[in-house]
Amino acid sequence: MSDRIDQLREDFRRESGEVTGEQEATALRDRWVGRKSGLLTAEMKTLGRLSPEDRRLTGQLLNHLKEEIEQELELLESRFAAARELAQLASEQIDVTLPGRHLPAGHLHPITLLRQRIEDIFVSMGYHIEDGPEIETDFYNFDALNIPAIHPARSRQDTFYITGKLALRSQTSTVQIHSMQRRQPPLRVIAPGRVFRRDTPDATHNPMFYQVEGLLVERGITLGDLKGTIEEFVRRMFGPQTRTRFRPSYFPFVEPGAEIDYSCFKCGGTGCRVCKGSGWIEMGGSGMVHPNVLRGVGIDPDEYTGFAFGLGLDRLCALMYGLDDIRLLYENDIRFLEQFR
Amino acid sequence: MKISYNWLKEIVETDLDPRELASRLTMAGLAVDAVEPHGDDQILEFDLTSNRPDCLSHLGIAREVAALSGLQVRMPEAEIKPVVERTGDVTTVEIRDADLCPRYTARVIRGVKIGPSPDWLVRRLEALGQRSVNNVADITNYVMLETGQPLHAFDLDRLQGRRIIVRRAVDGEKMTTLDGEERELTSSMLVIADAERAVAIGGIKGGEDSGISETTVDVLLEAAWFTPVQIRQTSKALALSTEASYRFERGTDPGIVSYASDRASALIARIAGGEVLDGLIDAYPGRSAVEASFQPILFRESRYEALTGLRVELAEAERILTALGCRVRQGSSSLASGTLEVVSPTWRIDVRIEEDLIEEVARIAGYDLLETSLPGSAGAGAYLIGEDDRRATRRLLTSAGFHEAVSFSFVNAGLDAQMSSAAEESRLVLLDPIDASQSHMRTALAGGLLRALEHNLNHGSRNVRLFEIGKCFQANQLEPDGRPTEIERLALIATGARNEFDWQDAGSRLDFYDLKGILEALADQLGLAALRFDPGAEIPWLHPGRAAMVSLANGDPLGSVGQLHPRLVAGFKVRQPILLAEIDFQRLLAAARVEARYNQLPKFPTVVRDLALLIETSVTWQSIDETIRSLNLTHLVDLRIFDIYRGRELPEGRHSIALSLRYRAADRTLTDEEITAAQEQVVRILTMRFGAELR
Ligand SMILES: [Zn+2]
Repeated sequence: MSDRIDQLREDFRRESGEVTGEQEATALRDRWVGRKSGLLTAEMKTLGRLSPEDRRLTGQLLNHLKEEIEQELELLESRFAAARELAQLASEQIDVTLPGRHLPAGHLHPITLLRQRIEDIFVSMGYHIEDGPEIETDFYNFDALNIPAIHPARSRQDTFYITGKLALRSQTSTVQIHSMQRRQPPLRVIAPGRVFRRDTPDATHNPMFYQVEGLLVERGITLGDLKGTIEEFVRRMFGPQTRTRFRPSYFPFVEPGAEIDYSCFKCGGTGCRVCKGSGWIEMGGSGMVHPNVLRGVGIDPDEYTGFAFGLGLDRLCALMYGLDDIRLLYENDIRFLEQFR
Repeated sequence: MKISYNWLKEIVETDLDPRELASRLTMAGLAVDAVEPHGDDQILEFDLTSNRPDCLSHLGIAREVAALSGLQVRMPEAEIKPVVERTGDVTTVEIRDADLCPRYTARVIRGVKIGPSPDWLVRRLEALGQRSVNNVADITNYVMLETGQPLHAFDLDRLQGRRIIVRRAVDGEKMTTLDGEERELTSSMLVIADAERAVAIGGIKGGEDSGISETTVDVLLEAAWFTPVQIRQTSKALALSTEASYRFERGTDPGIVSYASDRASALIARIAGGEVLDGLIDAYPGRSAVEASFQPILFRESRYEALTGLRVELAEAERILTALGCRVRQGSSSLASGTLEVVSPTWRIDVRIEEDLIEEVARIAGYDLLETSLPGSAGAGAYLIGEDDRRATRRLLTSAGFHEAVSFSFVNAGLDAQMSSAAEESRLVLLDPIDASQSHMRTALAGGLLRALEHNLNHGSRNVRLFEIGKCFQANQLEPDGRPTEIERLALIATGARNEFDWQDAGSRLDFYDLKGILEALADQLGLAALRFDPGAEIPWLHPGRAAMVSLANGDPLGSVGQLHPRLVAGFKVRQPILLAEIDFQRLLAAARVEARYNQLPKFPTVVRDLALLIETSVTWQSIDETIRSLNLTHLVDLRIFDIYRGRELPEGRHSIALSLRYRAADRTLTDEEITAAQEQVVRILTMRFGAELR
């Protein structure tokens, strides 16, 4: 009987070795272990004719063979299934190097990018962002800022007038006055915005540009606080290694006044093209709020002192991004705008 | 302003080299822009602030150097050896308008020989960019550059009546200046006249036929002090700016007038020969007013510390102020301790109050002494109200492919009028625009964006999306202080491919619904109830069939969205539609937000039923939507349109619309009968109202 089973095993091995496709594998399964006509199934049915002793022994051998065959069939089938899946997947291949489908994002204007960065820094230092009108009365634009009646800035050559009394503001310092009229000290204000001067556009001028004005009025504020505040700002803006330098200067609404320089963010102070070899970059004007300005808004200069500073965003923008012509800022050419992030 | 290093060293013996000197002066507030070699000399180029006219001379800079280095100024030699004859015997000076000319001095030098200047003088002037004319004219120039006092030399023989009258011009009075120009004067201008006519425009320029010439023998030398305002106004009115007017309009030193006259007279006698007559005619009607303007100012140690954060020894402050030319009084019984009483020198017209003195002491001591500190905490900072929404708007728009534009606040009048609903009388006009075609304050952003779009199309870009947030101006609404109202607006302009980088759908173009969708998304992003869009056939700059008025859910108008009117873009090289939206951003930011509220998630299934209807094309989606909603179907939870189909096989004037209706009950699964009944109601009302047919 064991000869017969060895024969069966040999037959199966031979047949399975000849299988080349998935359908042949299914046919092989049907032929050997099919429920109705499988060779092994038929063989099992013959067991009844044997003696109990032989039946047990042969049954064991047959079952063993059946397990072997089942295992072999599964192996065979899974091999073909894997191949089929591979073929399917291969047929579904795409070119993953083609561009993804997304809408390229637009970009914020570089002035906005800088303004937001500066606002973030000062808000974290306890300042309130404030806003003021772009068309101002003489009072806010000049008188309240202690700008003398004969100052050239008031002339129609320098300032855009709409009527004799109304003009486009020539500096964001006007917001100082609005802020101090709205609220009593202590006061910390940052006012970014557009300002206007009658400059004919060229590579370094526009008749409109952006400034950021800062104002702090509290008890016991000194020039040292101003310098410390500016140092803190430039370090956050340009990096912790940035140094600050104060030079005496003159602006009618501050006294003492100072011009602020910071060490060049490009070369670190050794001199390069950005800083024109000096190692320093001018940030803008600053100083202690002039007592006339404080008195004008009803603040006692003996009780409160304060500082103010201003910086030009357009120039900063030109320096930081290396613009060779600042007229580009307001031409709104998308080939320009898409360079900033 | 240019300063010669060699010349400067004649007045103050500094041992600093030119570059060190430039750096010291810069850090003391006198900015040196450049140091350039010139022969064996070095020229320092200063960029001075307008409060320091006293430094517009070698003497002025020398004083600063002296104060910074603890040196003494050596005044240039001005000794004259007058002859017996007196100036007052040969000429007279009469000041009729002392308010404009508080001081006028005249001196006569007889028997000069006009000729070329000696080489050293020519070189000095040339080093500072001045052309040599003749010896006497050069000397007046030289002394001005040296002392800051402008001077003028008249030919005494050419002065009618040999006298000087300082007076306002007569309206319409004419005079030919040295440059050969005939000038018409007004009564607000000051002239120097002789017995008959104006011979110079006071403090600005001399006259052609009274000046020095080769034949001049007797010179009348003028040194005067004119008040700055009138000089500035006259100079501007005549469009005539000179070295003299530049100094006078900023403020010269009333105290140096006679010294400068002496110095120039001495040089003329030395170089051009001649004899200086005895006695300077010094008409000084303004003396008491000038002196009164230099009142004692208190300098308090405590105030110095309060403003600078630095301590100063009173003796040190006194040393600095004295070195700067102030008269300082300390320790008198009437003065509180820690206080100085200071009178500023006549050349420092900018030093008027205690804070000015504090700056003087601080800047000479050096701003680098400042100890930095940070003001203590004063609570949390804050952004502008609405800034988070502004930033959210910017993020949304950039994500949608829009670049941010920033345009000038002034625009072309015609363009703005064409693209804005503002009334004609609300337009603000600049009195003196830089560019006559940009003369109006914008009442809307659209004009600027259209210009920007045109610029981009002209430079080869075909797919352009821009937005701008900015203020616009309305003259017909005034603030309490008379200022026009400023309104923050938002505008978008877009044209071209829906996504030029989508290689499977590069041909698809942006249309009305793209831009409308962005406004809808914006309202959603800001947490507003859905915006209303109503047909806007009356918006002049938009295509009458492709425009909508935009309003808030409560009906408050916001603006418009649509395709640009073809008439406006006839000149453009593109045929693709150009979409434009503009809204009152301020109103959008201020609009009421929908509060977020939790709704239980549905427990029972939603049933979706589609409906295809043949309906007239003139029936708007809004009317269909509102009609179905007016049925108040209890279980209808959503209604969408998902297709519009126009085909030849459909009857003329009709199209097929596909609707998707979603039904759900909160407490049970809906039955087929319930849903069918609802659908029948929908079909019935659409049929009744619009003649729709079920397909
Ligand atoms: Zn550098």
